Amino acid sequence: MAGNGVSGASGKKSSDMNDLPTFSAEKLQSNMKVIYYSRTFLSIIGGVIAGILGFTGLTGFILYFLVMAVTSVGLIAKARFSVHSYFDCWNRVILDGFVSGLMSFVLFWTFAYDIVHIF
Amino acid sequence: MGLGFVVGVFGVLILAHAAYSTIQYRGLLKIMEEEFSGPPINVVAELLLGLALCMWAALTVPGKFLSIHPDSEENRIVSLPANLDFMIFNHRGKVFPPEMNLKLKH
Repeated sequence: MAGNGVSGASGKKSSDMNDLPTFSAEKLQSNMKVIYYSRTFLSIIGGVIAGILGFTGLTGFILYFLVMAVTSVGLIAKARFSVHSYFDCWNRVILDGFVSGLMSFVLFWTFAYDIVHIF
Repeated sequence: MGLGFVVGVFGVLILAHAAYSTIQYRGLLKIMEEEFSGPPINVVAELLLGLALCMWAALTVPGKFLSIHPDSEENRIVSLPANLDFMIFNHRGKVFPPEMNLKLKH
């Protein structure tokens, strides 16, 4: 490794061809938690809005996808558009928390619809 | 964190007020015996405002994103640790030419 330059106390420069890209897993996990909280809260808010507006059927799910798409754009903007310095792949920002958010959305959608329109 | 939290609570309060207005609107429609086709326009405006506030709160309150690269600027470990007794500096690394852009961080 003598010809590969200095490795001082500031960090290692990996110039090998067989190097695996390493990242700090606990920071990645903390970032995933941030995404999870954001998506869950916005799914609940989207559910309440769908219930208040009186959506039934497919229209409500369209609202959910819209809210999730805007959330994804917001998260990418929060990562200052350089997703790879905070996550290891794009799917984490775009798709993670989608299905669990869907269940929270439907729960609060029916809840708000019942409160506003039925009782 | 405090401001984002207050903005979030404010957004939720606006949504609750919009829900209450819609309940009253439906009561009015029942009296006039008309069908509910959609909430009035001011309720829709209130819902959009509440959604915008909650979205801003949801993106700022949970915390910042931390960089995952081990060699990025904020992950540098150049401060001297406490176990200085076990660290030796008189090793073979002294034959390398010194790097001139070492930065110290506390």
